[in-house]
Amino acid sequence: MSYTLRGRLESRLAAALAPLLAAAGLALVLREWWPFALAALMVGVGVVADLAYDRLVAYQPGWLALPLGAAELGLVMLAARATDVNASLVAALAFFVGSWLLAQVLGHAVFPLLRLTYGEDGGELGRLGVVSVTAVFVVVVGGGAIAWSTQPPTIRLEAGVYDGPLVLDHAQKLVGEPGTIVRGGIVVTADDVVVRDLTVVAEENGIEVDDAKNVVLERVEISGATLDGINVRRSSVRIRDCLIHSPADEYAQGIDISFSIHRAPSLVEGCVIVGGYEGIVTHSALVEIRENRVRDTSLRGIAITEMSMGTARENDVRNGLGVGIYCGDYSHCLIERNAVSGTRPDLASSNGTRMGYGILATFGAEATLRENQLTDNHRRTRAFADARIHRVD
Amino acid sequence: MSRRIAIVGGGLASLVAYATLRKGGLEPADIAVFGTDLDPAADFRRRAGAIRQRAMRSESDGHAAAASWPGLAVRSALRRRDPAPLVATLFDRYHPTVGEFLDHLAGVRERTAWDESFVRERIRRVRAVEGGFELDGHGVFPHVLLAPGHPGLERPAELAGDPRAVHAYEPHDYADRVTVVGAGMAAATEWLNALAAGSSVVSVRRREPERRPLNLPRPLFTRRGPASFHRTGVPQRVALLRSWSSPSYPCGRAWDEPLEDARRSGRFSVVPELNGAEQIICATGFHRGFRHDPLLAKLVADHGLETAEDWIVLAPDSTVPGLSDTERTLALAGVPGQWAFPAADTLAGAKYAARRFLQRVRRCPTR
Repeated sequence: MSYTLRGRLESRLAAALAPLLAAAGLALVLREWWPFALAALMVGVGVVADLAYDRLVAYQPGWLALPLGAAELGLVMLAARATDVNASLVAALAFFVGSWLLAQVLGHAVFPLLRLTYGEDGGELGRLGVVSVTAVFVVVVGGGAIAWSTQPPTIRLEAGVYDGPLVLDHAQKLVGEPGTIVRGGIVVTADDVVVRDLTVVAEENGIEVDDAKNVVLERVEISGATLDGINVRRSSVRIRDCLIHSPADEYAQGIDISFSIHRAPSLVEGCVIVGGYEGIVTHSALVEIRENRVRDTSLRGIAITEMSMGTARENDVRNGLGVGIYCGDYSHCLIERNAVSGTRPDLASSNGTRMGYGILATFGAEATLRENQLTDNHRRTRAFADARIHRVD
Repeated sequence: MSRRIAIVGGGLASLVAYATLRKGGLEPADIAVFGTDLDPAADFRRRAGAIRQRAMRSESDGHAAAASWPGLAVRSALRRRDPAPLVATLFDRYHPTVGEFLDHLAGVRERTAWDESFVRERIRRVRAVEGGFELDGHGVFPHVLLAPGHPGLERPAELAGDPRAVHAYEPHDYADRVTVVGAGMAAATEWLNALAAGSSVVSVRRREPERRPLNLPRPLFTRRGPASFHRTGVPQRVALLRSWSSPSYPCGRAWDEPLEDARRSGRFSVVPELNGAEQIICATGFHRGFRHDPLLAKLVADHGLETAEDWIVLAPDSTVPGLSDTERTLALAGVPGQWAFPAADTLAGAKYAARRFLQRVRRCPTR
């Protein structure tokens, strides 16, 4: 069809109205903003795309809807990432695909039946279009205003040294400027907290998150921990682009996410962890650990254990002592496209499971391995004590 | 006669208009269709048969039903339980067979109860009178759609009376050496027909045909094209209509390969002028312009309508300015409606006029 600009926009927004209302309803039920934010992003990306299509696509054959839809999906995902929309990937994909299919059905079948001149009017919907555009505008602006007014406050810390521990017991964004240092750690006990762009000099834990959901820790640097760089209990967090180094105790760990199996999955992404007992460890948690770099650990580089369900993907684990990546104690682990190298045997230990394994599964764990690169490890992979390793390379 | 809406003409554009009015809630008793053949597909069938056309140039939405959906591809897929037509239509590659199209027309005719509204009369004059339009003594109708069709077959003047000449749209066979005059869809079809029959073919044409899937560029089939067209002045619009009337036929190997094979073997050639030939097929289409249609010519003369060369000047909704107002409507559909919609002589064009005619009828307080 050869759409007019008005036709594209009216068709787009009329088709988006039902998903937008559904997302608003879902947001109310879940008490989460992400469905609405995702739907609003979808509408926004679509409108911008329509402005471009109007100049670039004089005639749109049916097949073109597919690549254009895929491109819009990519843009929506980028926008969601950039704006920190906390949506699960599967839910977001399902929502987008469902909305896209609905738009196709409406555009090809329902609108032409409702309005005989739909095709020759270039997708314009007349009064229905005006009503739809108005309704979408009202829902987006109204919902956006409510979302904006209920957003947690942002607290900006100027450069300097602050004595901790800072206790964040209500929703807020704590954002530091370059040169902001908190001594004594940060404790998060509230939902919807964001901590960003801070350096923390720890005492016991660098950042402790307890019984909180939807917590974001981004671009934090932590040093000097005697227990954990980041300690997460009964919580769901997203930790991105962190740097944890210089532990102050030989048993200190980088990131420990534990006892959170009842929470939404947590994410650890893009972090660098140097030294410590375990680099990233989970106990009884749902986790995705991806694209991290872990160096020089003395027990294990990455450990998914105690009935956790987790994915370790595209991590780079080097020069660990004993074990590179560990799946233990009835956990279910997907370990794929990781690079594990230089794992040394722990000769001081009498434990046979610590003899320099790149990837190890033990105690009834189920580990699925795919396309991992194991180089210069003392031993490659092994399953102990009723654990099983499935290779799907 | 108590009917308030008249359709003058009994062909495809009229069937489209009738189906649209019926979809809009009008009953057969509200509408009179004046034509000479009860079968609205009669002319099309005769012409398609003459050139042995097997597939339509139009695509899935080239149908006579009022709503665009379901198109012929969907109907075909459901009937054949085969998704191939749906896949083809995604790529604009679905072209219904002439048989499928004729079956579809018969279905529309039956579903809309066309026969109930049909009046076997040729209307020769339409006059604006108080409250509407008087049709040759058949009463006054507030709303009239004129869809008179093409005003006769066009033949080159130099072939008048030449016993060797036959128009492509008249029944004919193929001699051993055939000259085809013209370069549009009918001419291309005749080249292939004659070659398939074993003839040698000479194509006489003064300019190379354009190659495009439909007989006009696609954007012209929706508001995107006509919106800018409607903003043009008279000379520019005439020039555009002339440029779009140049001959064309679709791209594709199905057209090119037989011609190329024949060219290599010396059975197909192109020349600019007629020369000696056993048979001359005039694939030269139809007369152009309202002056060739007695009904339209009288309409213009009686009411002093504005014209521009071959075209009656119309409003963008295909109505005749000055003769249409809030209480009465005179609209043109089919080829005479090109001033409003350049693709008026297609099914899409017939729908364009019909849907706007329906809007006018609905808005009219005396409906």
